[in-house]
This record gives sequence, C-alpha cells and structure tokens, in this order.
Amino acid sequence: MGAADLEADALLVARVKQGDVRAFEMLVVKYQRRIERLIGRMVRDSDLVQDIAQETFIRAYRALPKFRGESAFYTWLYRIAVNSAKKALSDLKRDPLVLESSRALNDEGEETSRVENELSDGETPEGLLASKEIAAAVNSAINALSEDLRQAITLREIEGLSYEEISEVMNCPIGTVRSRIFRAREAIALRLKPLLDVNDGTRW
Amino acid sequence: MTPQDRSHPAHRDEDGADLPQQHLSALLDGDLQGSDAQAVQRACALWRDDARARQNWHTWNLIGDVMRSEELAQAPARDAAFLARLRERLADEPVVLAPAPTVAVAVRGWRSAWWLSTAVAAGFVLVAGVMVVALNQPPQATPVLAASPAAGLSLASVPGAAPASTSASGALGLIRDPRLDSYLRAHQAARGSPTAAVPGGGMRNVELTFIPSGDR
Repeated sequence: MGAADLEADALLVARVKQGDVRAFEMLVVKYQRRIERLIGRMVRDSDLVQDIAQETFIRAYRALPKFRGESAFYTWLYRIAVNSAKKALSDLKRDPLVLESSRALNDEGEETSRVENELSDGETPEGLLASKEIAAAVNSAINALSEDLRQAITLREIEGLSYEEISEVMNCPIGTVRSRIFRAREAIALRLKPLLDVNDGTRW
Repeated sequence: MTPQDRSHPAHRDEDGADLPQQHLSALLDGDLQGSDAQAVQRACALWRDDARARQNWHTWNLIGDVMRSEELAQAPARDAAFLARLRERLADEPVVLAPAPTVAVAVRGWRSAWWLSTAVAAGFVLVAGVMVVALNQPPQATPVLAASPAAGLSLASVPGAAPASTSASGALGLIRDPRLDSYLRAHQAARGSPTAAVPGGGMRNVELTFIPSGDR
C-alpha cells in the first residue's frame, strides 16, 4: 500500500472519529469487495461470507476509537476479517445442529463438514458473465483513453503512486494530475454505464 | 450563489470539470492538500447528500479494484445491497468520538490543524472530561450533538451549529438514559468542573467511552 492509499484512508478515518458515519460508509464501499474475497477463501457459503463481512465492518466501526493509525487501516481491517471468519467457522463447528446433520463420511471414510464442502458459492452464470463483461469494459475503456489519461490512471491505480510522484514522472503540475485522473475515471465510468446501470433499482 | 462560488454545486474549473466531484476523486487518492481546510469535510458531505457522488465513489473504487484484479469485478447491485444492510446495523450503533490526541496521530503533520477548524465548523462541541454521544442522523440532517442537561452540562453555542433540543428526544433520537446521566455526572465529578472547547483552539482531551449497542 502506497503512501497515497494510507493518506486516503487516514483522512476518512479521521472524519469517522469526528462522528461522520458517512465517512465510514465510504471506507466500506472501498473495501467491501476485497474483504468478501478474503473471507471467501476461508468460507465457501456465500451467504455466510456476506454475514461475516457485515460482522467485520461492524466490529471495525466499534473498534475504530482504539485504532491509532500505527498500522494501515486496511491491514487492521484485514485482521478483523480473518478473526471474524475464524470465529464464525468455530461457532459453526460447535453448533450441535450443524454437527449432527453435517457429520458425513466421504468416499475415503473421513468425516467432513458439510459447510466446508458447500459447492455453491453464490456465483451464478449470470453473475460471472457480468463480472467478465465489466472487466472487459474497464480494459477497453482504458485502452481507448488518451496517452496522458491512461498513464495517469495507471500510475495511480496499478503503481500506487501519489499525485506528487505522478507529477514528477509525468512532468506536470499536481493539479493536472488530479484533473487527468478525474477525467480518466469519468471516461471509464461512461463506458461502464450501460453495464452498471441495469434497471434493477440499485440505489446509492 | 453563482457557479463561481466554491460551495456552489456546479462549481467548475476552466476546463469545465465538475470541481466538487473532482475533489471527491482527489479524496479517493488521498490528495486534498492545496485545498482549504474544509475540503475533506465538503467531499464527505457531498457523498452524504448527492446520490451521483455516491455512485461515482462506488464506480471509481470498482475501476481501481478491477484494474488490479479482474476477479473483483461485480455489478453494483450486490455492493449497494451490502451497504444498505450495513447501514441498518450502523443505525443501531452509537456514534463515538475519539480523543483529540488519537485523531492527531491518525491524521499526520499539518493536517491536524484543519481538524480543529473542521470540528468547530461542523458544530461539534466537545466538553473536557465528559462523553458526548449522538445517534446517527439520516443523510439529509445535520449532525447534532448534545449532552444531557441532567448531568449539569450546557451546550456551548457554536456559530452555524443546528440548535440542539434536549427535550424532544424522539425527534433527534438522543440517548436519554438515567444510567448515562449518572455516568456523566460521575465522570464530571472525577475530573473536576468541565471546560468547554474554545472555537479555534484549546481543545482538551475527551474521555472516550464506548457504549455497547445492547446497553441503552
């Protein structure tokens, strides 16, 4: 995580500590996908993954007053996610109902937990297709950008450089960096619009 | 108010770019220096008040995620549902305020100066030695902080702050709980007479106490 990402999170965390809950929601929107992916490596059931992700953010919100910025916010959040997942898994194992119904023998005669063998991870064919389409649209949108915009957004998002570092690399003022990244985002978002704006009543 | 005014929603730069949205983009990248002290607060307020800003914030973060890892691509509906569900749970959580030194550590260097003026401009009043608690407010409302008058405290008025009604607890959703009042009194007694924060400086330590959501 570069200095820019640490600073971005620090600014929002400082707002949360002043009582601005929306700033916390902004952090949630930023990290929810990554946290769910992380938990999904430990837990198969997608409903449970979401429950644990919810729990992770609630625990983070409650513990935020104690977070002193000694580690990066995401590192701290990551640990909470792992702990929440471990706790959920051990709670399940101790649940007599789950134990009883899931005690099964597989072909090798070993006991297996049904939760761990859950095949469905919530991914529908439609969902997978939508993901691929979105990824493809982002790639083609980036390729369609002018050189300046593409370089700016790539240095920021892939290389993790700060605006100051990008201004040195691209030999332009920081205000120009800010403008180029913003315009790159707008151009990519425009390309994504037909894919993201499905009439499913999504409301932010 | 004209579009040339900084706080006008349609404030644009010479290239016609929407400045408030551009500031939001800069906040995503941790770069709001060079702007005035309230830039972060305004960007967060824009997120709070403007659905397009919330959609942009999601889309821009999605773009970054997908550029780094294509498997993170997913349609917004799931993410929006996640946030909606979390919001409901957050509404049950008391808003906590952190002691000033903790904030100074989290926000490094010169930025700690803007925190003070931001807090005052937002109408926050912190009273030394006493916990001040507010419930989450709906997106359009101005956050209001109040301390229980039963604990012998008064809310210092800050210019621009919404007037605090401590009687209409239903309207503002204040926590009114005799246990809270006696807790505040006990803290006040332990620390001597409370001192109010002076706008612009003199911020004292605020005792942080966290109320678990079950204890009201």
